[in-house]
Amino acid sequence: MLSKDIGIIGYGSAAYDKKPRRTIFGYLGEAAHNAIKSAGISKDELNGLSVDATNLGSDTAVTTAEYFGLSVSWAYKSTAAGAGPLMSIANAVRAVEAGLADNVLCFGGGAQDVAIFKQRIAQFTSAVTDYLLPHGHGGPPGLHGIIQRKHMELYGTTREQLGRIAVDERANARLNEAALLRGPMTLDDYLNAKLVADPLRLYDCVMPCSGAEALIIGPLDRVPRGKGVRLLSALERHNHPVGELAPVRGGWEVFRDALFDEAGYAHADMDFMNCYDDFPIMAAIQIEDLGFCKKGEVGRFLDANRLTHDGSFPFNTGGGQLSTGQAGGSAGLLGMVEATRQLRGEGGARQVADAQRGIISGFGMISYGHGLAAAAIIVEQA
Amino acid sequence: MTVSIYPEPTLTSTNAPLIEGWRRGELMLQHCSQCRAVIFFPRHLCPHCWSTDLEWKRNSGGGKIVSYSHVYSQVAAPFAAEAPTILAEITLDDGGAMLARVITSEPAAVASGMRVELVPMPEAARFPLPTFRPAK
Repeated sequence: MLSKDIGIIGYGSAAYDKKPRRTIFGYLGEAAHNAIKSAGISKDELNGLSVDATNLGSDTAVTTAEYFGLSVSWAYKSTAAGAGPLMSIANAVRAVEAGLADNVLCFGGGAQDVAIFKQRIAQFTSAVTDYLLPHGHGGPPGLHGIIQRKHMELYGTTREQLGRIAVDERANARLNEAALLRGPMTLDDYLNAKLVADPLRLYDCVMPCSGAEALIIGPLDRVPRGKGVRLLSALERHNHPVGELAPVRGGWEVFRDALFDEAGYAHADMDFMNCYDDFPIMAAIQIEDLGFCKKGEVGRFLDANRLTHDGSFPFNTGGGQLSTGQAGGSAGLLGMVEATRQLRGEGGARQVADAQRGIISGFGMISYGHGLAAAAIIVEQA
Repeated sequence: MTVSIYPEPTLTSTNAPLIEGWRRGELMLQHCSQCRAVIFFPRHLCPHCWSTDLEWKRNSGGGKIVSYSHVYSQVAAPFAAEAPTILAEITLDDGGAMLARVITSEPAAVASGMRVELVPMPEAARFPLPTFRPAK
């Protein structure tokens, strides 16, 4: 069980860029600065740190503390790619509860563009470099093309149905000045975009970019009522299903029931879902595996719902990575930062009416035939 | 010997039978002597039962495509000139499964369920890893 008295007390983002204008620490610093301002605490009150950033190289959580002049009693660097930063938040709550730190800065970011991203992907994991790159695998889109085709052929899912995710997220992004991709997008635009890894086209794929996201975890009584976020349940499962190539499911299916049981709420009680949308097919699989519909029925679910902030299933209410851009380690925090914004009633033009609670999921570590990392957290306003 | 223009896997003591077998045009795969699993990618131990008693066996390379993608956007330079390439999930008749490239002059004819076989020598020598083509 997670503490009811410790949670998210502040959030902040750095402005995103299509090409890096500064180093990773520059982006992380801007997000951190905005986050302590949002929490109403000073930098010197931070004594815990978690970092997940794409371009850290040999830097660690401790050298990140050096850069930012922080003296910390808890330091953490996540390893589970897009699911890691999300779980860092739960681990930070546990660390504060255990007395290991008072206030923890959890941040993530990236200083990259498409070219830098491709260099990184070519040297991603040893299994990818040795057994996929020599085949011309095309990075994550090649594998997800295989996964999407399998889902389409097994269950009859169509590109028109998956397009709902990209098109409605873009509608949300048009109300988010921080999103990099804000031009109008119709279903025809989505269907006829440039091929990347058939059946995936351009708007099925996130745009690598630069930026950062940050959250402050501390005692909820530090912030006024309605400005804190309590974690109700948080679970992760990696490398499931073991050894299966191009699975149309992931670790979420293992812990879904436990996640909702521990939170004490049902699916219908969720006011929004922010998932890790590197590709619409993976967003669709998270909707299925987290139980909003049965396996194989996400096509009909997407037919029946609108995913806009004011729709029947508010989803990635800031535009998701597909429209905001994927700023490396930011991406695993993007959904939680947006959730915090919504639960504090600071969603502006894209505010979900009376948002009380929601679910955020993470995904990543695209290795040999399988995105390995999966996590999800249910949160509520405190 | 033909020199590959493509990125090469790192040759290690663990994967040498796979890499060196393919230089002869053969598909060599690890079989676990304990639990009988066919293992890919090569490992020092069986990921199912952790036995280190692994035996390399020749695989016919006959199999079928489970799913596939025509890859237009490449991350490694040599493939950009050949795009779209085909990346497929392949299950093998003799056991095992892998992701691998499929070479064909008729890419539009590729489909899930299609039978495939290994690209034979001498053409095989162009490719750094076991590579497939539609079965004749």
